[in-house]
Amino acid sequence: MARDSSIEQRPESEAASQVEAAEASADAAIARLEDLQRVTDAALAYLNLEELMAVLLERVVEILNVDTSAVLLLEDEGRTLAARAARGLEEEVERGFRVPVGHGFAGRIAATRQPVVIPDIENSPVQVVNPLFREKGVRSLLGVPLIAAGRLIGVLHVGSLTLREFRDSDTELLQLVGDRVALEIERSRLQIQDRIAQTLQHSLLPRTLPRLPGLRMAARYLPAARESAVGGDWYDVIELGHRRIGLSIGDVAGHGMAAATFMGELRSAARAYALDGVGPGELLQKLARFAEEEQSRMATMIYGVLNLDTWMLRFARAGHPYPLLLRADGTTTFLTATSGPPLGTMATPSHNEQEVTLEAGQSLLFYTDGLIERRGQRLSEGEAALERALVESPEDPDDRCSAVIRRLTADWEVADDVAVLLVQAVGLEERLSANLPARADELAGIRYLLRRWVAANGGTDDDCAAFAIAATEACANAIEHAYGPTEAEIEVNAGLEGDIAVVTIRDEGRWREPRGGNRGRGIPVMREFMDELEIDRTEDGTLVELRRRIGSGPR
Amino acid sequence: MSELARLSMDSAGDIRLARVAGEVDASNVVELSEQLLAGVPNSARALVLDLSNTSYIDSSGVNLIFDAAARLRNRRQELRLVVVPHSFVAEVLSAVSIGDAVSVDAAMADALKAVGVSD
Repeated sequence: MARDSSIEQRPESEAASQVEAAEASADAAIARLEDLQRVTDAALAYLNLEELMAVLLERVVEILNVDTSAVLLLEDEGRTLAARAARGLEEEVERGFRVPVGHGFAGRIAATRQPVVIPDIENSPVQVVNPLFREKGVRSLLGVPLIAAGRLIGVLHVGSLTLREFRDSDTELLQLVGDRVALEIERSRLQIQDRIAQTLQHSLLPRTLPRLPGLRMAARYLPAARESAVGGDWYDVIELGHRRIGLSIGDVAGHGMAAATFMGELRSAARAYALDGVGPGELLQKLARFAEEEQSRMATMIYGVLNLDTWMLRFARAGHPYPLLLRADGTTTFLTATSGPPLGTMATPSHNEQEVTLEAGQSLLFYTDGLIERRGQRLSEGEAALERALVESPEDPDDRCSAVIRRLTADWEVADDVAVLLVQAVGLEERLSANLPARADELAGIRYLLRRWVAANGGTDDDCAAFAIAATEACANAIEHAYGPTEAEIEVNAGLEGDIAVVTIRDEGRWREPRGGNRGRGIPVMREFMDELEIDRTEDGTLVELRRRIGSGPR
Repeated sequence: MSELARLSMDSAGDIRLARVAGEVDASNVVELSEQLLAGVPNSARALVLDLSNTSYIDSSGVNLIFDAAARLRNRRQELRLVVVPHSFVAEVLSAVSIGDAVSVDAAMADALKAVGVSD
C-alpha cells in the first residue's frame, strides 16, 4: 500500500527527513481515518450480523493487506470462542471451530485481552491449535481482542501466507479496526435482541386487555435495560367464559432465549389448563409438575380467577411477590395469605388459595420482582417504595402503571425485566361511565354494575332491580340493532340529580321498530320500572334516558 | 348454557315440570328456549314452568314465555307458570300482561292441582 512505502522512506537530509516524516505521518493518519471510515459507514446499518461480519472482514483484509481474517465470538458464558466469520479461512466457520478461552492463539488473546503477534507459526512460543492455519499455509498471525463497552466479546485476527513481520502500527490499526468491528457487532446484536424481544413480547403478551364494565385493567412489560433484553417475565389475561377471567403473571429465572422460551411454554400450559376450568391452586400444582418434567428453570407465578359479577378474585401463588391492594382511602395491603414454592423446585407442591373481593375504587397490582429488587437494598424497602408509588399514582389505570414503573425505576438501571398487571374496580361515587361491547353476554355485567352503583348511592333493593332491568332492556335493544363489520359499543353513564338517578344508554345504531308479535315488550318493561323514560332516535344513534327517584324517601 | 341460569326438568305423570334457577336475559334465552321445548314430548299434556327461583327475567325471557305458550297451544298442550306474588319476576310479567296468554299460579301445588295432578 502507498502508505507503507511513504513511511519507509529514508531521506538523506535530516531537515527534509523531519518534514517528510511529518507529512508521511499526516498522510498515514488521513489514510487510517479513511480506512476506519470504511469500517463504520452507514450502509452497514442495514446488514444482519452475518453479512456485517463478512463485509467487515473483507475490508480488514484490504486495509491490512493480508490473506486471511476471522472473527471468533465468546460463547458459553465467556468460556469458549467460536468462529463466526472468516475470509480466506472459510472452513474455520464451516467446521464450527471452537477453542476454550486461554488455549491457543485466539484463546490467549481472549484470556489476556491483549494483542498477540506470531511472526512464524512454525516457530512460535504460543501453541497454535487450529490445524486450519497449517492446512492453508498461514505463516504469520496478528490478533486483537474485540472489546465493546469495556466487555470482551471476541477476537479478531488476520494472517499472512508469506512470512510477515507485523509491526506496532499494524497492531494499532487492527486494534482500531477491531474496536469499530466490536461496536458494530454489539450494535447489530442489540438490534437483533431488541427485535427478538419485541417479537416475543408481541407474540406472547396479550395484545389487548378485555374491556369490562366496572373493571379496568392495564399492564406493562419493560425489558431489562442492559445485556440481553429478552427476559422471562410475562402477564396474561384469559377470557374463561361464564363471566370469569383468568389472570396470570410470572417470572422465569434468568435471561436470554432459553428463559423466554420456557416462559412461553409455561404461559401456554397455564392458558390450556385455565381454559379447561382448572382452579388456581390446582393449576399451579399441574404447572409445577410440568416444570419438574421439563427439568427446566425455576419460575414464580400467580394465577387467579376473577368473577366479573361479584369482583371476587381467587388466586394462588408459587413463590411470586405478593399482590398489592390499594383501597379507595389510600391505604395499602400486601395479600399474604397464600403460600407455595416456585415452580420447578418440587414435583408435588401444594398451593393454597386466597380470596379477595374488590370494592369500588380499589386496585390490585400484580408485578414481578424486577420492580422491587435492587442491589444492596432489603426487599422490605422495595416493598415500601412500591406502596408509596402506588398510593401516589394517578387514578387512570394506564397512567397508574406507567407512574409506578417510572417511580421505581427512575434512579437505577433496570437490571431485570419487569411486568405489571393492574385490575381496578371503578369508583361508584355519583358518576359512573362505562363502555361495553354490544354483545348479549355483556348484559349481566352492566346489570350488576348498575345494581352496585344504585346501592352505593343510597338506592333500595327495588331501585337496584329497577335500574338493572331497565338498563338491560335498553342495552339489549342496542345490541339487537348493532350490526356491521366492526364490533359496536354501548356507552352507559349514570349520575344523580338530587335523589333522582339518571342513567343514559347510548349506541350508534338505529333504533329498530318492534317487529312481530313478540317484539316491543322492552319499552313497557322499562316504563313499569322507571319514573321517566325518554328515547331519542337520531341519524347517529339512539340515546335512552332512564330516571327514577331512589332511596327510602317518599316516592 | 352460561352459569346465569340452570334448567332442571322433571315429570309428574304426563305433566312436564321445568324449573329455571338464576337469571334469564338475551344472552341465554335462545339456549334455554331450545332446551325447554326439547324437554316436552308430544305425549305430555302440559308444561309447568316454575319461575320461583328465577331471580331475574327481562323482555327476552317474557318473549320466550309468550313464544312457548303459542307453540304448546299449537300442539294442544297447556303452559302454566309458577311465580311468587309481588316478586321482581311477578312485577315484570304483570308489566306485559302475561296473564292474558298464560295461566299463572303462586305455587307449584296450585299449578299441579289446576292441571289435574294431585300430590
